[in-house]
Amino acid sequence: MSTTITRTRLAVVAAAASIALLAGCSSSDDSSDKTSAAPCEPAKGKVTLQYWNTVPGMDKVVDLWNKKNPNIQVETKNISNDQYGTLGNALKAGKAPDLSQVGYDELPNLRTQNAFVDASACKEATAAKSKFVPWTWSQASFGGTGVFAMPQDTGPMALFVRSDIFKKYDVAVPKTWDEYEAAAAKLHKADSSLTMTFFDPNNAEWFNGLLWQNKAEMYSYADNKWQVNVESDQSKQVAEYWQKLISDKLVRTDLANGSTQMYAAYQKDQIASYVGAAWGYSMFRDNLPKQAGKWSIVPMPTWGTDGASGDWGGSTVAFMKGSKHLYESVKFNTWLNSDPEALALENKLGGLYPAANAGLKLPALSQGVPYYNNEKIFDVFADSSNKIDTSFAWGPTQKTVNLALQDAMAKAAAGDGTLTDALAKAQATALKSMKDQAIPATAGK
Amino acid sequence: MSNPSTIRESRVSRTAVMALMFLLAIYFLLPIYFLIVAATKPQGELASTNGLAFSHFNLFDNLRVLFTRSDGVFGRWVFNTVIYAVLGAAVGTLISALCGYALAKFQFRGREFLFSVILGGVLVPTTALALPLFLLFSATGIVNTYLAVFLPSIVSPFGVYLARIFANAAVPQELIESARLDGAGEFRTFFSVAFKMMTPALVTIFLFQFVAIWNNFFLPMVMLQKESLFPITLGLYEWNGQTARAPLLQESVITGSLVSIVPVIIVFILLQRFWRTGLAAGSLR
Repeated sequence: MSTTITRTRLAVVAAAASIALLAGCSSSDDSSDKTSAAPCEPAKGKVTLQYWNTVPGMDKVVDLWNKKNPNIQVETKNISNDQYGTLGNALKAGKAPDLSQVGYDELPNLRTQNAFVDASACKEATAAKSKFVPWTWSQASFGGTGVFAMPQDTGPMALFVRSDIFKKYDVAVPKTWDEYEAAAAKLHKADSSLTMTFFDPNNAEWFNGLLWQNKAEMYSYADNKWQVNVESDQSKQVAEYWQKLISDKLVRTDLANGSTQMYAAYQKDQIASYVGAAWGYSMFRDNLPKQAGKWSIVPMPTWGTDGASGDWGGSTVAFMKGSKHLYESVKFNTWLNSDPEALALENKLGGLYPAANAGLKLPALSQGVPYYNNEKIFDVFADSSNKIDTSFAWGPTQKTVNLALQDAMAKAAAGDGTLTDALAKAQATALKSMKDQAIPATAGK
Repeated sequence: MSNPSTIRESRVSRTAVMALMFLLAIYFLLPIYFLIVAATKPQGELASTNGLAFSHFNLFDNLRVLFTRSDGVFGRWVFNTVIYAVLGAAVGTLISALCGYALAKFQFRGREFLFSVILGGVLVPTTALALPLFLLFSATGIVNTYLAVFLPSIVSPFGVYLARIFANAAVPQELIESARLDGAGEFRTFFSVAFKMMTPALVTIFLFQFVAIWNNFFLPMVMLQKESLFPITLGLYEWNGQTARAPLLQESVITGSLVSIVPVIIVFILLQRFWRTGLAAGSLR
């Protein structure tokens, strides 16, 4: 087993190196293609589409489609082990699939690289707008400038709480972040081995969700220029809040999300809550079955009276440049992400929490969940989903910025600097990385 | 006077060697022990119980889930791996034996040069060849088929090397001469005379090839896209990449890993007698 793992690692490194080589050899010509919408003509006869994704069981969903549509056959490839590496290499080699799963936060980056084709010439594509939760469409269409992707799933955030622990120490479940901090202090005072939650310094995606909730609009695009405002007052408020919790030792910083250590800490009743997303409901159910009935899911604590929520994760299915079958791609993509039958199967097999309005009403998402005391937990997520800021946008070098942010957050967690410093680092990195790629940008405000 | 001291010395050194071996055995067996323990646990106890201690025994349920998940695709992967490894190793061994025998027993121009080239091939790691092979196969249109993994698997420069060394040592020239005198053709001579004498070496080559193909990961990863063609290694890797979305896959990956090492262990135990002879013979010459 151990050798298999080393082999795998080696192979991955080798794969990365060699595929980079491959990409270097092949001639990629991206001279002509501009961002104008591609024509939308149905093909004559049978077509086969390539669709890359990371969703467990997606091949079964596609089988369903293939059975119903003999003339539009779809082939899937699972790229869960190196999603953006595989996709990036394929793009460089001019062998991108017709459709690919792309996370919301990677859309601007790939768009800057001219990786998408605008499907807005297809009526069905533009008409799909009303089928999706507003913020998802806003991000997939870049504020309505085209149709580059269809939203697939989302991660509306909520607070997972161990009701039994709160009850035991007679602490009310917090509704605002202020109450959350007070409750954290109370719990920690009552039992010094107990903390409210953990702050994972190596999870920028999660932290971005918290910033999003506070309407920290980090990026905007106007006059052919990016305005970078990572270090806004809203983000500083979030950073200072968590910095205080860390400094007061009210949250742990030694656990990584989803790690064995994290589950062990929850198992030992050392942590009372979890700031998570909709897709996370199965994590606890499957890894901590003995805590069935002890968990509840409530709305995210809010900033004062503003009821806004945040999103953590989720993906779109993007129309990739080079596709010769845009018309068919739109047909399949729309079905895949808004047809109730498809959505139900994706939710069942892949654990996707749908971005489509129809998906939020799925039977499976309107029932009580036994693990959570038969509470209708998905009502909480659906409510959260509709309270997410629609004007939030990601930057074109988000991944680089996330890495820098994580780096600085890890230092802050270790007592070197603060989370506010980490934001400053992220701001500087955002500007520098965009300058390096010759993307016009200025610091906002 | 000197006698007891030498005995004691040897006893000391023997104990030291045994202790070292014992430590090494623990070092090598611990991961397998962990694998066995982890494969018997339900997902819910993987993270929450001690990794090296048994808890709720759930192996049979894990196996049932493993083999029924995604319409039993794991069974398909096992089948594929067996096809790749058994057929690949068998054909590969035969080719190696023929080449080695020819290089050892026939005099022809450029023989030593050819042999040097083959020896050079031993130095090229298969990983480095995967990508050029991909480009070749992609041009020929056999990417994403059984052949894409099978064809590269039957080539083994090291096997040719071993076969030549062994044919040189184990097959006396006189025997071949007499077979020829009796009117046997070259192939008949090879299959009914030389082949049997080379058996220990051939088993060694077979084992080497079998294990190499069984554990091969990179080549199938480069070549294959269809899940139904995957070997176990690639399939488990793909599942492992999805555990963030489907936590229950983790237990299947672990159980699947355990299942995947069982055939290799069985083959080793069955063939170890030959294996040792072959190794020793190879090292002597």
